[in-house]
Amino acid sequence: MLSDSTARRARRGMMREWRLHLLSVCSLTVTFVCLGAALLVVTNLRVVEQRWAHAGRASVYMKEGASQDDIDALRNALLRIPAVSAVRFLSSGDARMEFGQHEIQGKSELAALPVEAFPASLEVEVAPEMPDSELADMVGKLKQLPAVDDVETYQSWTERLARLVRGGVAASALLAVVVFMAVLAVIASTMRLALQRRRTEVEVLKLVGATDGFVKKPFVLEGSVQGALGAVGAIGLLAILFLLVRGKLDLELAALIGVEPTFLPWYVAAGMVALGALLGAMAALASLRKLVAI
Amino acid sequence: MLRGGGPRFSREAAQRPILVFENIYKSYRQGAPVLRGMSMLIERGEFVFITGPSGSGKSTLLRLLYRAETVDDGRILFLGRDVAKLRDDAIPFLRRNIGVVFQDFKLVPTWTVYENVSVALEVLGLPHRLIRARVGEALQRVGLAGRGQDRAGILSGGEQQRVAIARAIVGEPALILADEPTGNLDPQLALDILGLFDEVHAAGTTVLFATHDRTLLEVRPRRVVVLGEGKALDVREGMLQEEYDYPVTH
Repeated sequence: MLSDSTARRARRGMMREWRLHLLSVCSLTVTFVCLGAALLVVTNLRVVEQRWAHAGRASVYMKEGASQDDIDALRNALLRIPAVSAVRFLSSGDARMEFGQHEIQGKSELAALPVEAFPASLEVEVAPEMPDSELADMVGKLKQLPAVDDVETYQSWTERLARLVRGGVAASALLAVVVFMAVLAVIASTMRLALQRRRTEVEVLKLVGATDGFVKKPFVLEGSVQGALGAVGAIGLLAILFLLVRGKLDLELAALIGVEPTFLPWYVAAGMVALGALLGAMAALASLRKLVAI
Repeated sequence: MLRGGGPRFSREAAQRPILVFENIYKSYRQGAPVLRGMSMLIERGEFVFITGPSGSGKSTLLRLLYRAETVDDGRILFLGRDVAKLRDDAIPFLRRNIGVVFQDFKLVPTWTVYENVSVALEVLGLPHRLIRARVGEALQRVGLAGRGQDRAGILSGGEQQRVAIARAIVGEPALILADEPTGNLDPQLALDILGLFDEVHAAGTTVLFATHDRTLLEVRPRRVVVLGEGKALDVREGMLQEEYDYPVTH
């Protein structure tokens, strides 16, 4: 437990060595910014993944020779499936027109594509809660039909996104290890310097009968506060950058990927601060091992 | 018994000598022992000057006592307990029973006078109110009443040594060790500081005062132990042998 005396001595130490501690906190802030930025990317990738994992739609591309009767029969069959909420027929001409509106304005090469390049399709809206297995089953059956050329559920895209998220998480874990090492190095160096500058203080404490725990506690608290402040500084810096970037890019991003960028959730931010405090305390403890010899 | 461990009071322990050095050997380099079978006995409430030439082992003797060093051989009994056999985690409790004053004062210059003295009570976990009262008394005893908020680093040498003495006595230890406490002071200040130790001794505290300053030894009649050739020689030779059958000369 932290006593008044520990907190007071830690505060006194930090106030008297404020330059040293400020330098340490700034170094830690830079370190934590790397981790925070990686977590921010992962957070947003996860949001995109969640948005698209249940996109709620499928495109059933018809063969070129499919008759209107085939299309009507298939549409009626699809509408009888409980998870399907709507089915819209999109002819080749309509598809060419939609593509032209959204994608190829002003791009002459793409605008020159023939209408045959855009197959007719049935745009199926499925309920987001429809299980993936049921959707896959439905797609399998649709592909068997002679009038159907292909079915696109955008599943492969979300799978790629999921792989990207997993990669991001792995990169963040790797960064966390780098941050761990950097925090240990920065705080251990700071503590060694602080110990050197406060050697007389430690000698006096041991001379008057202070236990090792009594001597170490303020240093551990200082390390912990440095780590936590470093993480808080990084979160603050990232928040400022996020606000600056979001103001300029959120509309474009929303139009492009269908989601607005989000900042780190509170529990991730709190976790970073807790990690900083824990690493700081551990680094301080590790660097104080030689204290016993004084 | 040492504060912080074991029984608080023992009639038998109260009658024992406060300090017994038995056949102490200590060397820092092989073949060059500082202490060679040194023996000495100190009773409660004594004021003993430890003297001898530079390198005779005065500081070593004191350092062995508060376990800044360990003996190579022999026993040091403080309040009946062998200091050499104390486990590392018991050393702080030994030091709480011993006040130490150094030639270089060993104060934290950035701390205030009050902080430098109160630290000896903070380690005991005493309440703030009690610490304030006892630090105030200690500063008054050393003539520094009202100077508590001054930074230790700006005080004169004599004042810094008074702060160091206040720190040593504030915990009311059984024993005060002074390692050349007047070595950095002019003769008049040295006499003033010796006077302070006299007052501490008069209050019942045992004092071991290491010095090579012969003028201090002549101020008042005190027991004087001379360290030479690694042994202790009591200048009132024979007295302790008669009373306690304890060898002090070899």
